[in-house]
Amino acid sequence: MLDVAVLLDTVDAVRLSDKMNENSQSNYSLNVSLSEKDRTAEALVLSFSLELTSQPQAAKFKVSGTATLKGTKEEIKEEITAPDEKKPPPILVTVYERVYSTLYVLAGSLKVPHPMPNLLKKTS
Amino acid sequence: MIQETGSTMYSGVIRFYSLNDVRKYLKELLEKYQREYDRSSNVIGSLLRTEGGKGMEVIMSKGWAKVGSMFVNVSDPEKGGMEVTFQMVTEMKPRISKTEEVLKTFESVEGLPIEPDSTFLLYLHGGIPERLVIDSTEGRPELFNYKGDYDTV
Repeated sequence: MLDVAVLLDTVDAVRLSDKMNENSQSNYSLNVSLSEKDRTAEALVLSFSLELTSQPQAAKFKVSGTATLKGTKEEIKEEITAPDEKKPPPILVTVYERVYSTLYVLAGSLKVPHPMPNLLKKTS
Repeated sequence: MIQETGSTMYSGVIRFYSLNDVRKYLKELLEKYQREYDRSSNVIGSLLRTEGGKGMEVIMSKGWAKVGSMFVNVSDPEKGGMEVTFQMVTEMKPRISKTEEVLKTFESVEGLPIEPDSTFLLYLHGGIPERLVIDSTEGRPELFNYKGDYDTV
């Protein structure tokens, strides 16, 4: 069974406007990057960076760290492969779920709108 | 199950994506064996020193009885435990020296003409690295990198 461990290395949160509060209308865009750091036959270590920016501007969050996947070759492959072009690879969903609570607390502390918990791929 | 002492002497095949990973694994394996050897032999050494002059009889139990196809010790657990630990330490010596030897001569494996995309199958038998298969038929998976833009919804 696949095991995923997510470890945060850096967390950066900035309030960008004094006029916004937790109840203001705002959507967050997420720019994500995942890159292979180390791989064995039974494990894959990924570096990740997630950058969330709200529109209209209220706050910016940046978190980075590592995700370690332990399992069989097939399980790892499945976890990093998006089911289709419109959907994120499962590992991205897992990482976002794991860091979401941190983002939620930070947004509350900064008194800016909370990011939503699900991801929808932008169409180019 | 809680392992009291000793290393799990793995028998099996492990795939690696580089020779450097094999070397790293062997080095860690050796360190693990040496740590365990030092720990267990310290326990025995300290008992022998405490019971000074009595020699090996301190760790040789007379409480063994053959039950079925196993030797069982119900009357002398302290010495019985020491005796099996001593046996384990004795068995670890050749395991350590064999792993050390493999590591010392690993440069000759690294000097072989190896196709760039090869992977490596290491066969361990009772914790001892015995064979290495250089597999040019199954390569390393493609390097994974992903970038994307999303909305949170």
